[in-house]
Amino acid sequence: MSYKIIGQRITRNEDAQLLSGSALFLDDVHLPGMLHAAFLRSDYAHARIKSIDTSAAKQRSGVVAVYTAEDFGDYWHVGPLQVPPPLAIAGAKFNARPLPPIAKDKVRFSGEPLAVVIAESRYIAEDALADIIVDLEPLPAVTDLEKALQPDSPLVHEDLGTNLAADVQQEHGNYAEAAAKADVIIKRRFYIDRGASGAMENRGFIVDWDEKTQTMTCWSNCQAPIPLRNTIAANLGLAASQVRLITPFVGGGFGPKIMTSQADDVLLPWISMKLKRPIKWVEDRRENFLATTSERDQIHDVEIALTKDGRILGLKDVFYHNTGAYDPYGMTVPLNTQTHTTGSYDIPNFYTRVIMVFTNKMVVTPVRGAGRMYGVYVMERMIDIAAKELNIDPVELRLKNMIQPNQYPYKTGIIGQDFVENVLDSGNYPATLKKAVEIIGYEKFIKEEQPRLRAEGKKVGIGVVCFVEGTAVGPYEGARVNVDGSGKVTVVTGVSTQGQGHFTSFAQLAAEQLGVSVKDVRVITGDTGHFHWGAGTFASRGATVAGNAIYSAATKVRNKALQIASSVLEAPVEELELADGVVRIADVPNKFITLGELAMRANPTRGTIDPNMEPGLEATAFYGPPHGATGQGAVAMIVEVDPETYLVKIKRFVIAHDCGTVINPLILDGQIMGGVSMGIGNAFYERMVYDENGQLLNASLMDYLLPVSTDMPPKMELAYFSTPSPLNQLGAKGIGEAGAIPTPAAFASAVENALKDAGIEILESPLDPCRLWQLVQQKQ
Amino acid sequence: MKLEGEHVFNGPQADVWEMFYDPNVLASALPGTQSLTMIGKNEYEGKMFVRVGPVSGVFDGKLLISNEVPPESCTLTVDGKGAPGFVKGSGDVKFVAQADGTTLMKYEGEVQLGGTLASVGQRMIDSVAKSMIRQAFESLDKALQERIAARAEGRAAEYKPPSEAEFAAAVAKDMGKSVLQSQEARVIMYVVLALLIMGIIAYILSNLPK
Repeated sequence: MSYKIIGQRITRNEDAQLLSGSALFLDDVHLPGMLHAAFLRSDYAHARIKSIDTSAAKQRSGVVAVYTAEDFGDYWHVGPLQVPPPLAIAGAKFNARPLPPIAKDKVRFSGEPLAVVIAESRYIAEDALADIIVDLEPLPAVTDLEKALQPDSPLVHEDLGTNLAADVQQEHGNYAEAAAKADVIIKRRFYIDRGASGAMENRGFIVDWDEKTQTMTCWSNCQAPIPLRNTIAANLGLAASQVRLITPFVGGGFGPKIMTSQADDVLLPWISMKLKRPIKWVEDRRENFLATTSERDQIHDVEIALTKDGRILGLKDVFYHNTGAYDPYGMTVPLNTQTHTTGSYDIPNFYTRVIMVFTNKMVVTPVRGAGRMYGVYVMERMIDIAAKELNIDPVELRLKNMIQPNQYPYKTGIIGQDFVENVLDSGNYPATLKKAVEIIGYEKFIKEEQPRLRAEGKKVGIGVVCFVEGTAVGPYEGARVNVDGSGKVTVVTGVSTQGQGHFTSFAQLAAEQLGVSVKDVRVITGDTGHFHWGAGTFASRGATVAGNAIYSAATKVRNKALQIASSVLEAPVEELELADGVVRIADVPNKFITLGELAMRANPTRGTIDPNMEPGLEATAFYGPPHGATGQGAVAMIVEVDPETYLVKIKRFVIAHDCGTVINPLILDGQIMGGVSMGIGNAFYERMVYDENGQLLNASLMDYLLPVSTDMPPKMELAYFSTPSPLNQLGAKGIGEAGAIPTPAAFASAVENALKDAGIEILESPLDPCRLWQLVQQKQ
Repeated sequence: MKLEGEHVFNGPQADVWEMFYDPNVLASALPGTQSLTMIGKNEYEGKMFVRVGPVSGVFDGKLLISNEVPPESCTLTVDGKGAPGFVKGSGDVKFVAQADGTTLMKYEGEVQLGGTLASVGQRMIDSVAKSMIRQAFESLDKALQERIAARAEGRAAEYKPPSEAEFAAAVAKDMGKSVLQSQEARVIMYVVLALLIMGIIAYILSNLPK
């Protein structure tokens, strides 16, 4: 299908406001009489609460109230789980331990809230935190995944009698049989860690209970405004219609802002009702490290079974996953690992088992890539290792085992985060790999350039990896499209926006159907006062799931406009066209009626209307996919390792990918580049360093290294394929996490290749110069 | 983390002990010690102001002395907490008279840090700790020499401790140096050592002739 506006590389509607500093962010909201909250957080990772004395804090001038868990009485409750348990998977064991909003009896991670101070200013609130006397009895902490499961380990949740959070086994085919037939079996252990999301804007929450109207208005920078609104109302016994939750412009989400039912959004609404005053809380950076969820370590024991000529017969992956002190986000992250391990490859026998473990660390919830990166890392590293073992070129080995274009829909037999079988819907996987290899000049590099550069003493290496990205999962999203009397179009949808360019890409979808300028479409996202159906922005689903709903709603409005115009212009619908904000007779362009006038006719103030007609040029539509749509791609990168410092410079970075129909290639480029920068961070810079007592040792941007512009490749070389997804009418697939998923694997592959003289094998992520040096030294 | 170290006092064991009996010397060797109170046999409470880079505040410390073998050794257990976080640890301290007439002080122990001190102060702790310990021993060395000299000359010892400002300036200077040479030295924790020394003071105070 050919589009006029969809697919256009146009600049973003929202940028003028963002770049001129006039966009409203959460911290820009100032309300009369607003109070400020600060949380006292535990210094200990594991301790029993003996007493908390808030009396001195309450006496500080400017302090309005101080609360501990006890003060919330019956209102104190844990959870709810943000994601249900994986009951769809046979034999799955899951121990639910949802997050308490504020610690009662015991603290289980360093940073868990113990008390909240409400004061006239944030300064006073923070000062008052130091007045609170907390008596905690420290308990031994458990931080190591394997030690946590030993019988003598301290228990994060004593009542469970174990630190096992979940145990889920899935098998497609029969690995044991495959292994018995294999010529070669290779086993490796991988240690893979990830980091914080590092959003530029930290989390924040503002709540204002209005006693006179009996309504509550909340501002949040969360990724799931509607579920949060519903939970706040339910917690307080209010009708959902009494609570409005607004997400203003948000400075990056990247996953952790999906996590709600935390101290701020549970406790502050209750306090605001008690005090009848608005309250604001905005995280500072250190608090963000301690109090905002992140991703963490997995240990994988992997086996791959192959024939001598390089056919992969089977893969077995048993891994530990660290969920932190609670598991409110269910198993989304490790299930993504399970569904993304075999990735682009046709592996007939696959056994995967995740052992999820409680530790005294911050809770794990998805961070851009959300578990997918671990699976891709394991698979791609195993293929590289197998290629060496079998003396087959690693690209050739990949091509040999790849899912072919005639194999879709390809059923993986593995149930994913949306609790249905992961089915790869469409694509051309060999094409992306071949394209990436072609652009980077793989053959020429390994045959000519690399030997020449190495002769000059330069440690250069190349890495090529493939990946899939399961996106656009259910349950559903919805949208309402309206044309008003001015002819302006308004699109409202439930998802919230954290910088993805929704104000432009969503506008393009409506403009395509309604024949108006993209600039004339106003998009409202994440405001329950405008639209209150939907699940949220996660799993690269906004453009596809909300996008299809918007496109459907716009189509309905278009049809209605055509019908009314048909009677006004006395011409059949087939002869009409929508363009330039009018409906006109295609052959008689001066015979037209504007959309604005049609909107007025559809909404008369006197007279009668057709009883079957709904008023206005307005329509609502929903879209819910049967399962997620899967994007795919390949990365090829060339690096140079400094032989003295072991710093790694990315010389070239090529990504060829397929996300189906592209709505706006410029926004797509930005999504890819942003994802790659996070992937580079995951590969070489970012890691939450905890000591054995559960203390986070790098809770500041002095010590936690985010990649900067100079760490990026000199140029991003991008290639697109557009195999439409058969799952939705736009043919779209998500792309938001694509860059982050393959980059650590590609980085490890390229660095290992650059250091091939040293003979090291890279089985861990992230790397850093010191670690590379150690690996080389250990080998010598 | 583990901490261990040693220091040779250029004087006989008896003089070192005698110096340690003078709480004014010790307290002033570590500015920031605000109080030290005995709350039971071999149990003390103290307050100390600590600054590690951007992290600063008052620690309330508790200290327990056990395994005492006067005048050779004892075990100190400290438990300090305050706005900047907490410190928990225990260590063994030994005083060994050496053949050349000097006294070797050895300490080793295990320490846990928590809160802001650990999460933000981490990168500074090593160099701040080393600098402050070095200076503390320097002050004690001077005090010891002055005491020995004064006794030889038959006069009262005069001891002028460095001011807090001088102390801080020296720390800053050391930190500048340690940028170049921080790798090789052992990780030593100033706070715990400070509390250890407070413990020694307390221990000695408790053993003063009544």
